[in-house]
Amino acid sequence: MLEVDHISYQAQGRTLLNDVSVQVRSGAFTAFMGANGAGKSTLLKIISGEVKAPAGTISWNGKKLGEWDLKELAKVRAILRQQYNMQMPFSSEDIIAMGRYPHFRHKMTSRCKTVIKEVAEYVGVEQFLKRNYLTLSGGEQQRVQLARVLAQVWDATATERLILLDEPVSALDIQYQHQVLALVKELTASGFTIVAVLHDLNLAMQYSDDILMLKKGNKVTFGTKEEALSEAHIYETFGVEAALHQAKGYPHSFITICPVWKRYHGMTASGLQ
Amino acid sequence: MKEKGFFVLLIVLLVVACTWAVGTGALHMSPGQIAGMLCARLGIDAGAAFNEQQENVFWIIRLPRVLMAVLIGATLSVSGAAMQGLFRNPLADPGLIGISSSASTTTVLMIVLGGKLFGNYESVFGQYGLNVATFAGALLAIIIVYRISQQQGKTNVGIMLLAGVAVNALAGALTSFITLLASDQQLRSVTFWMMGSLGGANWSNVAGILPFCLGCIIGLPLLAKSLNAFSLGESDAANLGIRTERLKTVVMALCAMGVGASVAVAGIIGFVGLVIPHIIRMIIGPEHRSLLVASALSGASLLVMADLVSRTIAQPVEIPIGIITAMVGGPFFLYLLIREKKRTTII
Repeated sequence: MLEVDHISYQAQGRTLLNDVSVQVRSGAFTAFMGANGAGKSTLLKIISGEVKAPAGTISWNGKKLGEWDLKELAKVRAILRQQYNMQMPFSSEDIIAMGRYPHFRHKMTSRCKTVIKEVAEYVGVEQFLKRNYLTLSGGEQQRVQLARVLAQVWDATATERLILLDEPVSALDIQYQHQVLALVKELTASGFTIVAVLHDLNLAMQYSDDILMLKKGNKVTFGTKEEALSEAHIYETFGVEAALHQAKGYPHSFITICPVWKRYHGMTASGLQ
Repeated sequence: MKEKGFFVLLIVLLVVACTWAVGTGALHMSPGQIAGMLCARLGIDAGAAFNEQQENVFWIIRLPRVLMAVLIGATLSVSGAAMQGLFRNPLADPGLIGISSSASTTTVLMIVLGGKLFGNYESVFGQYGLNVATFAGALLAIIIVYRISQQQGKTNVGIMLLAGVAVNALAGALTSFITLLASDQQLRSVTFWMMGSLGGANWSNVAGILPFCLGCIIGLPLLAKSLNAFSLGESDAANLGIRTERLKTVVMALCAMGVGASVAVAGIIGFVGLVIPHIIRMIIGPEHRSLLVASALSGASLLVMADLVSRTIAQPVEIPIGIITAMVGGPFFLYLLIREKKRTTII
């Protein structure tokens, strides 16, 4: 279980997170949602250790983040970001091999080579292994990075593995968005715990299990996706009117957003004259 | 494996370059005689005939000079490659963040004012006097740039590069100002030294830079894995269990050591640290374990050849080696940029 315990964070006099506490289930796909500046990415950065919170603690499997050895933590927790600004023409295989760096000192073990093959096959990038990463499309690059992230935690016991995704599909086109999220979703079946910052309500509805909604650093709600993505919560979090539709035989409802201008109709009409 | 063959080729090239450079000059020596002289020193009679004059030129003039070219060439290339890894930018270079120019400012300061400020400093520090000064200059530049670029406990690479630009400008201005105070005799030696030259090579300054250069040449390749991970991004390297702050400190200290020592004895020799890693990266890719070692080997060969050209092309006049490397390296680098621009949008 990933425990977020009374986390607060301020930057430049602005409160980005205000006393947020969540208990993320192991083996579930949890999405963090909220408007820009709501603090979801900051919370993910605090969980990843990139940003230190002055108040509150994060624990993974009952052990506080600060008590983990950096290398040991790297073997169970991995992070996939939205985009990588690579400048050097590494091959895809080199990049996936970086995921194995916590596992060897100077010479790659044969186990590492096996894992690289396995994850490449799992993510479907085995045909790109020898290719220059910079020449791949955005979706292919992101899958190579996902393979790297998986290679990093591949050896840990099932329930120990935590993967953090910071807007993993925001830069991808629709086909790749679904490809990557379906892959990630599949991982929860084998015990991975997934925490992702997502923007798209329907993607969250389709792929996640639990959702944390944040507004201006405060928790709006945390629960199963059906509970969290209600019209009232969406309005509170994003300030937009939403409608939920249930299609026959479809496993979950889908969400449409009413045009925002309607709410301000009277105001904008007079303002436009 | 393709890479193993490449390394063998580089080693062969280095040996050939060294033999050629040692044997060429006003006094010719054949490879057989060179081998014979080396063996004779080890107490083996290889059966090659050589005279006493050849032996003196070989041991006192040529060999230390070639060894110095090997050390400096390898050091400049390997620290260039490591800096590029640290900055995640194939165009970064120790010269870029002001290490070389700051080291050269301290050297000029020692040449022109050393006598007045420290009395007979040469006798106090001996051969290491200048080395210590340039190392201090290089380290000072790195500490200033490093401190300025710290932001919330992390290094902002953009600020770091710009701070390097500022340090370069400041060091350049200081150097120019100090040269105004120089006497004619000092001006000559300052000018010659600033253009870069291995003409001053002897055993004591080879020994003087040896520990600094070896620290760089051996130490940096040991950090190859971390530098690879660093190319993903700093926080991503940290997520792979790498202590990024420590990595940055160690890489910078090693580069300051190596580059400072090189500048102390040979002045600013540009482009080696920029062009060599670039070419090697095109041949065997950016993976630092191979890149750093291959850069060191080929940087050494290049500087040995450049030095050979510098002392033989206009005999008996010696052309400063910095001019040679810039004349060859500058256009070549422009060509690389144009090619790279057409091929991809990386740079």
